[in-house]
Amino acid sequence: MRVLVVEDDQNLREQLAQHLKSDGFAVDTAQDGEEGLYYGREYVYDAAVVDLGLPKVDGIEVIRQLRSEQHRFPILVLTARGHWQDKVEGLEAGADDYLAKPFQMEELMARMNALIRRSAGYASPVLSQGELQLDTAKKEVRVSGTAVELTAYEYKVLEYLMLNPDRVVSKTELTDHLYEQDFDRDSNVIEVFVGRLRKKINPVDFIRTVRGQGYRFVTEG
Amino acid sequence: MKQPSIQSRLLATTTAVLVVFLALTAWVLDRTFYAAVITGAEEQLTQVIYSLMGSVDEDNGRLVFNDDLFEPRLSQPDSGLYAQVTTDLGELLWQSGSAVTTAVEIPQVESQPGTFVFGQSAHPSGQYHLSYMVFWEGVDTEQVTFAAATDQAPYRASINQFRRNLGVGLGAVTLVFVIAQLLALRWGLLPLRTMAEEVQQLEAGERSQLSAFYPRELEGLAGNLDRFVAHEERSRTRYRNALEDLAHSLKTPLAVMRNALLEQTPDKTLVEDQLDRMQTTVTHQLSKASARGPVVVGKVVDLGGMIQRLVTALQTAYHDRGIDVDLQLDQSCMALGDERDFMEVLGNLLENAFKYTTSKVRVSTPVSLEAEGVVVNIEDDGAGIPAALRQEVLNRGKRLDEMENGQGIGLAVVAELVDLYRGELSIGQSDLGGALISVRLPRSERP
Repeated sequence: MRVLVVEDDQNLREQLAQHLKSDGFAVDTAQDGEEGLYYGREYVYDAAVVDLGLPKVDGIEVIRQLRSEQHRFPILVLTARGHWQDKVEGLEAGADDYLAKPFQMEELMARMNALIRRSAGYASPVLSQGELQLDTAKKEVRVSGTAVELTAYEYKVLEYLMLNPDRVVSKTELTDHLYEQDFDRDSNVIEVFVGRLRKKINPVDFIRTVRGQGYRFVTEG
Repeated sequence: MKQPSIQSRLLATTTAVLVVFLALTAWVLDRTFYAAVITGAEEQLTQVIYSLMGSVDEDNGRLVFNDDLFEPRLSQPDSGLYAQVTTDLGELLWQSGSAVTTAVEIPQVESQPGTFVFGQSAHPSGQYHLSYMVFWEGVDTEQVTFAAATDQAPYRASINQFRRNLGVGLGAVTLVFVIAQLLALRWGLLPLRTMAEEVQQLEAGERSQLSAFYPRELEGLAGNLDRFVAHEERSRTRYRNALEDLAHSLKTPLAVMRNALLEQTPDKTLVEDQLDRMQTTVTHQLSKASARGPVVVGKVVDLGGMIQRLVTALQTAYHDRGIDVDLQLDQSCMALGDERDFMEVLGNLLENAFKYTTSKVRVSTPVSLEAEGVVVNIEDDGAGIPAALRQEVLNRGKRLDEMENGQGIGLAVVAELVDLYRGELSIGQSDLGGALISVRLPRSERP
C-alpha cells in the first residue's frame, strides 16, 4: 500500500512516515500543499494523510483540486484547531475522514487501514476468501485457521492483491504500490515474492498468473 | 482621500442654497424696483404733458401757451425737467423755460396720434422722454406734438442707492444666516463630537462605557457601541481566564513528567496519563477561549442547514457504520449568534451520537411556542449517558481536565457554550434506547 503524507511540520511528518513504514506502507512525503498536489497528480496512491494548515496551497484546496481531477484515493485530514468548521469543510472538499491533533498514532493507523479497506469495498478489518483470512489490523494471515508466517513484502503483496480482487495487477503496479518512488526494483523480485507466497498459503490457490500481464486474485464463484 | 466633515458638508450646501436664493431674490427685487422707477418717470412726464395740454388756449388758429405752469421746475433753468410743443413740420411752438437755457433736444418720435411714446437715451447722463401727438382742430397746423423729458441721473441715482442698500442688506442676512447655521450645526453635531471623544476615552481606557445621555437618533448607536465594548471586554476576560487556566493546569502535569524523567526507568503509564490530561486541558481551554459568545451585530444562523451539513460530513466519516439518520427539521429553525459557536455545539453533540449509537440517530427541531429559544434534540440508540456523567456535566461538578476523555469533554464544551448564550442543555433518555440531548439556543425573530 502506497500512501502520501502532506504535513508541514517536519517532526510530525517524519513520525508519520516512520510509523506508516513500520506498518508496511510505502510512504511519500510532501512538506507543503504545492508539493502535495504534485505527488497526488503524478503518482497513484492507495491513501493520503493531508494536514489542513499547509503553506503555499492549503489542505482544503489540495483535496478539492485532486478530487476535481478525478483522483479517488481515500484522504484522511488532520486538523490542528479541531474546529468543526475545519472538519466539515475538509469532508465537504472530498476528504473521507478527519482526525484532530494531537492524535494517537494507533488511531491514525487504524483509520488509514479502515479507509483503504473501505475503498476496496470491505467493511471488516479481516479480509477473507474461502479458507484464507488476512487481518489488516493485526497484519496476520491464516489458512484454515492456522497462522502463516509471511515476510513484510509477502504480506504486502497478498494484501494488495486481496484489496484489488478479480482484476489483473501488473508487476509494475505492484512495484509502484509496494515501494517508495525512488526505489527501482527488478520485476523478477516480485515473481520470487509471489512464488514463495503461493507455497506458504498452499493449499489455497487464489493467485493466478496472467501471462505477460501480471497477477489476478480470483474470488470464489 | 480625507472626507469633508459633516459640519462643512452641511454648511457648504446650506450656504450654496442660500446664496442662490438670495441672488435670485436680489435680481427680482432689482428688476421690480427698476421697473417702478421708470414707470414713475413715465407717470411724471405724462402729468407734465396733460397739464401742458390743459394750459393751452386757442386763439384765431394759433395755440397760446400759458407760461405760468403748475410745475415750477419747468420754468427753472437746468432743473432737469423739460417740455416742448412742436408741429409736424418740426416747428417749435413752445418750450419750457428750463429747456431754453440748457437747449435740451427732445427727439422727434414717430407715433400714432393719441398715443404716448416713451423712450430713453442710451447714455446714462441722457434723458427719459415722452411724446404725445394730437390733432388740434381749428389750428393752422393741425398736428401738434407735446413732449416732455427728464434727466435720468436722479432716477439712476435712486436705483443705484437701492442696489447698494439691497447688497448690504442681503450681505448682512447671509452673514447672520451662516453664523446662525454654524452655531446650529455645532449644537446639533455636539452629541457626535461628544461620542467621538468618549470613544477615544474608551480606547484610552479612561472610561468603560458611553454616557447615557444621547439624543434619540444616536441612542441606538451608543447602545450598540456599549454592548460591543462589553462583549469585547467579556471575550477578553474569557480569553485571559482560559489562558491563565491553561497555563495553570499545564504546570502540574509538566512538573509530574519532569520529575518522572529523573527516575532511572520513567513510569511510562504515568507520563501517558499526564499527556492525556494535558491534551484534554488544551482542547477544552482552547475551545473556551475561541468561543465568541452572543454577538452584538446579530447574525441569523440556519440551524437546519447546519445540521444537514454536519450529518452529511459525519456520514462520510462514519461510512462503515451504516448509521441510519432520521432528520425531522423545522424549516424555520433560525438561531441568533455566532455560526462557529453553534457549529461547535451541534458538531460535538452529533459526533457523540454517531460515536455511541448502535445504528440509529434522530435529530429533531420541534416547533416550540417558546419565544426565547429554538430547540434541537439529538437522540441515539446507544448505551446512553451514565447518570454520574450527566450530573458532572450539568452541575460542572468536576474540573474538565479531571474528566476522562470521551463523551465528557465534548459535552462539557457544549455545556459551556450553551451557558454563554444563556441557553439550556438537558440530558435524558431517548425512546430509541440511548441518550436524548436537548439544547435550547437563542431564537432569531427573522425567518
